[in-house]
Amino acid sequence: MTSTLSDSKDGRFQGHFAELLKVEGKLALREPAGLAMGIGFPIILLVIFGIIGIAVPGNVAGTGHTVLDIYVPVIMVVGFISLGISSLPVTLVKYREMGWLRRVSTTPTPPSRLLAAQLTLNLVLALATILIVIFGSELVFGATLDVGIPYFVLSIVLSISVMFSLGLVVAALAPSQTIASGLSGGLFFLSLFLSGLWIQPATVGGSLATMARPLRPYFIRSSMLLRRLPL
Amino acid sequence: MSRTQVSEPLESLHRESDPVVTVQHLVKRYGQFVAVNDVSFSIKEGEIFGIIGPNGAGKTTAVECISGLRVPDSGSISIHGLSPLKDRNLIRGFLGVQLQESTMPPRLKVGEALRLFASFYPNPADPNGLLETLGISHVKNSTYKKLSGGQKQRLSIALALVGNPKIAILDELTTGLDPEARRETWALIESIRDRGATVILVTHFMDEAERLCDRLALINHGKLIALDTPEAIAAQAGGKRVRFVPSKPVDDKTMYAIPGVKEIERKEAYVTVIGAGDLAASVIDSLTRIGVHVSDIEARGGNLDDAFVKLTRDDTSKVQERPQS
Repeated sequence: MTSTLSDSKDGRFQGHFAELLKVEGKLALREPAGLAMGIGFPIILLVIFGIIGIAVPGNVAGTGHTVLDIYVPVIMVVGFISLGISSLPVTLVKYREMGWLRRVSTTPTPPSRLLAAQLTLNLVLALATILIVIFGSELVFGATLDVGIPYFVLSIVLSISVMFSLGLVVAALAPSQTIASGLSGGLFFLSLFLSGLWIQPATVGGSLATMARPLRPYFIRSSMLLRRLPL
Repeated sequence: MSRTQVSEPLESLHRESDPVVTVQHLVKRYGQFVAVNDVSFSIKEGEIFGIIGPNGAGKTTAVECISGLRVPDSGSISIHGLSPLKDRNLIRGFLGVQLQESTMPPRLKVGEALRLFASFYPNPADPNGLLETLGISHVKNSTYKKLSGGQKQRLSIALALVGNPKIAILDELTTGLDPEARRETWALIESIRDRGATVILVTHFMDEAERLCDRLALINHGKLIALDTPEAIAAQAGGKRVRFVPSKPVDDKTMYAIPGVKEIERKEAYVTVIGAGDLAASVIDSLTRIGVHVSDIEARGGNLDDAFVKLTRDDTSKVQERPQS
């Protein structure tokens, strides 16, 4: 008895995080609303802009890029926004509200592991989004991406950090699922706008471009099109 | 904390005379409201210890302090010599908790939930065996949202037991269950005790407490107002009750002369005597001797329900009498 208790003190539960991650993954597949937002939304955007790019070929505002070329980074950021701002905080607040976190906290496994598993799952989905968008745009719709790898990686890291941090702030502040949905909904549309989904700062210029410049989605756009676009 | 320091209090695990859980002068406030007010008790190894009281009495708060989910404002709690807060990780390895009003992700399957919780513990029970014991192995592949109330409760108990706990805390386990499911759950709680675990049972059902518990703590308005065996607490209500119809009127004086009779209530033709000892036999015996026949006799033992109502009512009137300061 004493030895098993001492083991538990040392926290040697091999596999409990893997088990948590597995369960969170299965739950995500069974509740496909989150997945549809996180991965489905970028795919739909990719198809729409891919078709526009083919139908209206050529040069946007003298940049030498097609519509899709310009929108590829935006679509990625939209994926991060869906996962980080929409999906993540609502799930976390739901777990808190239904007493699931509390239930887990009565076991030797701290509830933070459950939060970590949820975060990890969403990060994996974000990586999947990146791959789908890169390969989908290049192989299916023939986009030309001129990417500086170090800038690209840095931009991805910064962009994901910002979106997920915003989502975690919502999860921390919202006392109920309804309020979490409201907060994340507001942030969702605000960040969609600032990500350039509707209006490209590059094409508009002026004060909107200045406003959007410090916003992190911009990083990806800058890095991916660094050498071609005067962003 | 080093291993040697930790193992010392644990050596007391098998010493039966030592209490498993000791609660001393526990106080917990929520703002101005005192949820638990200077409560002390200790729980022996292998017993089913009931915490009873009306809704909002502070029962759940008390067990939440024991399980380390809430931080007491003052007082001390010791579980096998360990503190629920400081030795939280150690205690959680051998403490199984079933929470009131806690639900699970709706699409989580029964088998998955149990496997997941098994992975949290250092020395878990076999999930399949546990499902079998609890009679829910046939819903192993059902999702949580499709389970009936009784099945959800069973799953909740299974999760509390999957770590092979030495102490199981079960909070309002049978609330919302139909009578048959309640009886099955009772059998289950007894089987947990028979396995050698100590059970802390929170309930507001007196029949449940009377049937299952070895000892009870009765809490009202956050204060401990009785701590004893169910029989002893029931006796505080005035003990046994015998109701009957005498063949001719018997005056109070004659009734009080019967050994064991302490109180008399009359309603229409019925006479109810409240008292102790072998009450029914002594009533029949004494009345027959003076030529009174007794019919429609109904005897019941010390009833916890009566005691509960009496004790909580006394306590409440005392509280109301107290001048506002």
